[in-house]
Amino acid sequence: MTFILSLVVGTLFAGAAYLMLRRSLVKLILGLVLLSHGTNLLLFLMGDGVVKGMPPFVDEATGVTPTVAADPLNQALILTAIVINFGFTAFILSLAYRTNQAVNSDDLDDMVETDRL
Amino acid sequence: MLTAIVLSMLALAPIGLLARHLPRPLIGWVLALLPLAAFAGFAARAPLVLEGGVLIETLPWVPEMGLSVRFSLDGLSLLFALLVSGIGTLIFLYTAYYLADDPGMGRFYVYLAIFMGAMLGLVLADNVLLLFIFWELTSVSSYLLVGYKHDYPEARRGAQMGLLITVGGGLALLVGLVLLSNAAGSFEISEIIGAGEELRASPFYTPALLLIFLGCFTKSAQFPFHIWLPNAMQAPTPASAYLHSATMVKAGVYLLARLHPALNETPLWIYTLTAVGGTTMLIGAAIALRKDDIKGLLAYSTVSMLGAMVLMAGIGGHDAPLALVTLILAHALYKGALFMLAGAVDHEAGTRKLSELGGLGREMPRTLVLTSLAALSAAGIPPLFGFVAKEELLHATTHSNLAPGVEMLVVGVTVVAAVLGILYAWRLVSGIFFGPAAPRKKAHVHDAPIGMLVAPGVLTLLSVILPLGLLPMVSALFQPAVMAIAGEPGEVSLHLMPSALSLPVVLSVVAIGSGAALTRFVKQISAAPSPLPAWLNGDRIYDAAISGLLNGTTAFTRAVQNGRLRNYIRYSLLALLAVILTPLALFAPGNAPVPDLSNITLPEIVTALLVPLAILGTIRARSRLGAIIVTGVVGAMVSFMFVIYSGPDLALTQLLVEVISTVFFLLVFAVLPASFQRLSSAATRARDAVIALGIGATMAAFTWIAASSKLFPPISAVFKAEALAEGKGENVVNVILVDFRGFDTMGEITVLFIALLGTYAMLRLRPEADPTIAKMRGKTEPDAGFLGRRGRREMGIGSRDGHENGQDGAGAPAPVGQPGGSQEEG
Repeated sequence: MTFILSLVVGTLFAGAAYLMLRRSLVKLILGLVLLSHGTNLLLFLMGDGVVKGMPPFVDEATGVTPTVAADPLNQALILTAIVINFGFTAFILSLAYRTNQAVNSDDLDDMVETDRL
Repeated sequence: MLTAIVLSMLALAPIGLLARHLPRPLIGWVLALLPLAAFAGFAARAPLVLEGGVLIETLPWVPEMGLSVRFSLDGLSLLFALLVSGIGTLIFLYTAYYLADDPGMGRFYVYLAIFMGAMLGLVLADNVLLLFIFWELTSVSSYLLVGYKHDYPEARRGAQMGLLITVGGGLALLVGLVLLSNAAGSFEISEIIGAGEELRASPFYTPALLLIFLGCFTKSAQFPFHIWLPNAMQAPTPASAYLHSATMVKAGVYLLARLHPALNETPLWIYTLTAVGGTTMLIGAAIALRKDDIKGLLAYSTVSMLGAMVLMAGIGGHDAPLALVTLILAHALYKGALFMLAGAVDHEAGTRKLSELGGLGREMPRTLVLTSLAALSAAGIPPLFGFVAKEELLHATTHSNLAPGVEMLVVGVTVVAAVLGILYAWRLVSGIFFGPAAPRKKAHVHDAPIGMLVAPGVLTLLSVILPLGLLPMVSALFQPAVMAIAGEPGEVSLHLMPSALSLPVVLSVVAIGSGAALTRFVKQISAAPSPLPAWLNGDRIYDAAISGLLNGTTAFTRAVQNGRLRNYIRYSLLALLAVILTPLALFAPGNAPVPDLSNITLPEIVTALLVPLAILGTIRARSRLGAIIVTGVVGAMVSFMFVIYSGPDLALTQLLVEVISTVFFLLVFAVLPASFQRLSSAATRARDAVIALGIGATMAAFTWIAASSKLFPPISAVFKAEALAEGKGENVVNVILVDFRGFDTMGEITVLFIALLGTYAMLRLRPEADPTIAKMRGKTEPDAGFLGRRGRREMGIGSRDGHENGQDGAGAPAPVGQPGGSQEEG
């Protein structure tokens, strides 16, 4: 499981790197989205092992959390990251919107001055 | 006491500013009391040292680093300390007369005092790090002294050259000293010296020695680093006199002498120093003979004598240490005097060029007498102290540890340098004082005031009386210094007249005889064309190197910092690759865990396979809508993985966020053109693909190895155990978010709120809709922007004249030039 997830992380990073190196503003943003997915998964793998079907809930019968359950700490951190990423994506999209209004282009090389924005 | 002297010299430096207000030149006599007090302090400790004792003082400074303020006074340090403070006293005195009309004299005294304190610290330090600090402090303070007349570009250039060369060498020295200390196991010089044999056997010996040599050669102006010293002539004469006679350039020689007992006797030590010292001695003397500027002539003669001193540190043999200390004292005495006298001539006649001087003997009789005596000492004519030094020099070269053939060569070079020394000394005296009078720069040239001649007079007097009766005293002073250099006790007794006819005596007679005979042809010899090609000029090479460095860094900065975000991203990615790949390449082969592929279900495989497919789709998509949708697929697959691998909260949040994001994407992209243009070339895309695949493979390997290794027990056990008891919740992830790490969540909400504000501002605040801003824009239109429209166009920055508002879609971008952009990019 860890191995497959590691390959997925690598794929996400590769796609993100390629898209971030494009001249198109939209592709740059899509690259950032992929980068955040990759980073979240990377964080997910850095916990106390990956398990299937054992979410970190307290067992109602015994009143304790099974030690074999998934690591709750990195899940909490990822949850924070997902939400912040959303805020970030919203901000950068509105930035792209305004940029398009001013420059009317998707090409980053057309964005050379800030005086008129 | 030693600590007090060194630190008080540095701390009391600001009293030099008194020279601003108190009457001149009287103030010089007052300020000279500062170095005189130091001199008296050292002289008072002299009897102890002369009996073979060593005075040591230690103050802990940063004990964790092996750094202590540790000063020691042994024979070698005493000799240097007396020279630095003694000549310092005379220089302080002379400055008051030389700079009597200069408003900046107070500042000059401050620099001078710092310089002296640094030099005293250097020769007394018994800790290599402390020594290095003072070493660099002398470089910095000499930079201030050389650049004192900072209105002149030559002075700034000379100061900069000296600083770059000596500080650059100082950095090499630091590394060398640290290597040496590591090999010896101590930062204390006395212990390093004690570990001599161990050091010579250490693998660090060769690199440490070469680096220390680099430091000493740059500081002591050895060929080919000598070029800074003649350029340092831009300093006012008192500083030059001090720099050449007792401080700065002697620091390299001092360090070689100091480390001599520990490091000598290897072929590397002997032959490097012999080759560099011998070359410098010969080249310096040859150039000195050709110089027209009297300070330039003296500067190159210093280079020559420094070469002789390095030679003495290198050749080995029983007599070389004595020859070294004798040379140091003799050179300090006559060179200090000659510089101050040259300053007096410059001061009175208004020029330092031999071609514009001549026949001044009648007008400046006192200066003539002193200069002649000092020059005779420099030429090594009996019965002056310079003669004693030259005798010792020849004696040491004929009794060295060199191979016989090399020794013959060194003896020959030394004799030639001695003959050249006689010639340039003669040229100096005859060119200034004898011969036909050149047209005068000043109408009435008269002799220098007595006060100005006191300092050079004292030094010249010493050159005369030391050999005539005071040699036993000098021998007693040299005894412990020679012992410190040789590392073993030995008897020192100097004689003016040789007791028997030996080879050195014959050589000395030959040198003096041929020198005297050649003085008739000195004009022709000095005017002969240079045998070297014009480009082989240290100054030119230095200038070319400096401008090459500036142009190179400018071009590099332009290429790297070219304003394109994707280039920065590329550099960052490549750097990331290097940082992660290096440890991976070292660690992973052989240590990588074997993947366990059992227990994998079909849904996992399908989910994992859909991610690369969707990414490929994003990259290949021609329409924006398609790109957004396939990116949404990636997000959905990631949520699905959270479902499979026990992260229900993550899956839920991810899915919600994914849906909202996609809607937002679609809203924003509705205003953009529907399809992507192909913006970059196939080659660029291929290169980026290689980088991206490299990043992907590296991150996959890194993730796999990092996830498979458990170095520390996870801390989440606490959260699992305490969730219900402490947090009163059954979902551990939620308890962490709202309770255990509640402040994190608080921060998260804050970030989200700021992003919301930013987004709102971006979408709602339109300057063209706001009448005040529109009015402001209208007013500033004539010079739009800080450069003005014309300036921007000249700088190649694109402007979109007439399209204040791009919302109507008419604001087509003008052709764009990039500031410094150079390459077509993708």
